[in-house]
Amino acid sequence: MKGTTVCITGAGIVSAIGFGKEETLQALRQGRSGIAPIRYLETTHADEFPSGEVKADTPSLRRRLGMQDGNRTTLLGILAIQEALQQAGITDTRTVSLLSGTTVGGMEETEQHYAEALKHPGTTISIRTHHCGATTDAMAAFFGGFRHTATLSTACSSAANAILRAAEMIQSGRTDICIAGGSECLSKFHLNGFNSLMILDRRPCRPFDAGRAGLNLGEGAGFLVLESEVSARRRKAAVLGWLNGYGNACDAFHQTASSPEGEGAFLAMRQALEMAGLTPADIDYINAHGTGTPNNDASESRAVLRLFGGNYPPISSTKAFTGHTTSASGGIEAVICLLALQEQFLPQNLHFSEPMEGGLLPVQDQQPKRPVRHVLCNAFAFGGNDTSLLLSNQPV
Amino acid sequence: MKKTYYNSIDMDTFKQELKAEIIRVLNLDGMQPDDINDAEPLFGEGLGLDSIDALELIVLLEKNYGIKLEKPEDGKAVFQSVNVLADYITRNRKK
Amino acid sequence: MRLLQYIRVNSEGIWLNGRFSALPTGDWAEALYRQDGIQYPKFFKMDHLCRIGWMASELLLAGENDRFEPRTDRAVILFNRSGSLCNDTQYQTTIQDPDNYFPSPALFVYTLPNIVTGEIAIRNGYRGETSCYLLPDFDAGILVETSRQALQDPGTRSLLTGWVECAPGQSDDLLLCLVDAETEENWNEKNLLQLYRYGHL
Repeated sequence: MKGTTVCITGAGIVSAIGFGKEETLQALRQGRSGIAPIRYLETTHADEFPSGEVKADTPSLRRRLGMQDGNRTTLLGILAIQEALQQAGITDTRTVSLLSGTTVGGMEETEQHYAEALKHPGTTISIRTHHCGATTDAMAAFFGGFRHTATLSTACSSAANAILRAAEMIQSGRTDICIAGGSECLSKFHLNGFNSLMILDRRPCRPFDAGRAGLNLGEGAGFLVLESEVSARRRKAAVLGWLNGYGNACDAFHQTASSPEGEGAFLAMRQALEMAGLTPADIDYINAHGTGTPNNDASESRAVLRLFGGNYPPISSTKAFTGHTTSASGGIEAVICLLALQEQFLPQNLHFSEPMEGGLLPVQDQQPKRPVRHVLCNAFAFGGNDTSLLLSNQPV
Repeated sequence: MKKTYYNSIDMDTFKQELKAEIIRVLNLDGMQPDDINDAEPLFGEGLGLDSIDALELIVLLEKNYGIKLEKPEDGKAVFQSVNVLADYITRNRKK
Repeated sequence: MRLLQYIRVNSEGIWLNGRFSALPTGDWAEALYRQDGIQYPKFFKMDHLCRIGWMASELLLAGENDRFEPRTDRAVILFNRSGSLCNDTQYQTTIQDPDNYFPSPALFVYTLPNIVTGEIAIRNGYRGETSCYLLPDFDAGILVETSRQALQDPGTRSLLTGWVECAPGQSDDLLLCLVDAETEENWNEKNLLQLYRYGHL
């Protein structure tokens, strides 16, 4: 990676498999999935579509943080940011930039008031916390404000793109420290929407399996503290890992479907490798986007085989643990990759039994056959927006 | 004999209506029902339809005729052509 | 960085590289699509945000050589305030009434503001970076800064960037620019603000 080296000094996560890195790690090591019938979102589909909800209702999330209000996307984001900042030893956030990815934003809260608002025609429907930027602002306010905040909304690659943009900001010298990732809660709006696309599995999802029949939605937040190496040294902060490369490419194929050759995914992964000056043989693990839809997993398999050949590195999707956390997935899975690098294990691909034709054989054994030094973390989105991040336990 | 005669007139009217409805829900700009050949495939080259259009047709089946398809793959057989679709709806409609 | 082409659209009219034309009445994007005789049936399936962003990019790129050759060196980075609110509202009507509940997949697809970047990329064969930001308001400083960062990627040589904003009951507000990495410093906050305010430099 040319120019400034970007390192990771903090990480925070909340998802269906737990609050914080420790609970997450335990669940991953024990193979314990967080996919279950919907319990907290009010929907007629509660028992129809298993999902990865964070195991707490919104009032109890508020109590955890000592807050009177705040929507679910905001609360989940604050929990993950808090953990990351704490680990990085940052108490004053006024010199730090916050980049957050979300698409749902305050939709879930809006849903609770929308019907009532419609009953009074002529009144303006003004739901202060609805838009995506409002959730970022509310997160920032909790910590007393940041130097700069921005909200990225590129659907399911939002958090990955926030991390990518943070690295660019550090490399361009615009900022020394950035906290970047994403937060998203379940909403009826997108649960119904994904259902209308007929890509929700009625059973726990089975990424890369021949019998896969769609995805399970999830929710949560994942954030990384990214920092120039100079700044980390100056602050005497412990370095947890490095972001050595990243790539974003457009599949330019279809609004929602991925191309058969996985062009966007292929280009994004290749860019990340090129930036890091690494070859495919250097990659020790890939955390796949792996949603469990027939289309994504076939396309992503093809992209991996094109770039790595038959001798591809261990690969898994952790979405059978967390569900597809949409905009937050890039953040959540980047934290999972960091855990894999630190703890030297390979997250499993749950519920895999039979390989698909022309597909990949995902990780079944947590024990790596060689040290885990460099990993790719993929996040792909509708609009053909494909991002790959390259995380390492050493600089390049 | 007479009955079949009336049925085929009804069927032709129904197909015209169905095609107008397809043009409307799929936003097929500038097309008229007569531009769609009853025997030709709806997907593939002809109308330039894609996977989202197939999903929208599945919604149309449920909304207008009370027919529920469970999987997108089920659409493949049903959306072969206007003839096949019209026949399928006639035999399975609930409203 | 160098500003190559620009288009400004607001309630007063269209400025294409400074040349003014009146806004066609009604749906301006559809009127121009028909006027230019473009054949791209997918246009009619797009939501309003995609239609206006896509049509503006058509006007902006019309004269470019080898326009549809697939390329990875051009990024599409767009900004707006209201996300996909126009279409969100329409989609909501399909799930509002429990007795007439038929969520529309074709509308749901467009409830993502970044799809407009994808539509432009699909049309032109762009496989470079695409991104979408939501800001409280048009902000020339952030646009210039973000595009500068995007061009730091050695694989990116030019980008289509700007402001594509629409919301129910509000007139469309666009400023779309084509810039490249050549050193001619006419791509700056001052010029961008001038373009946004007056439609020309």
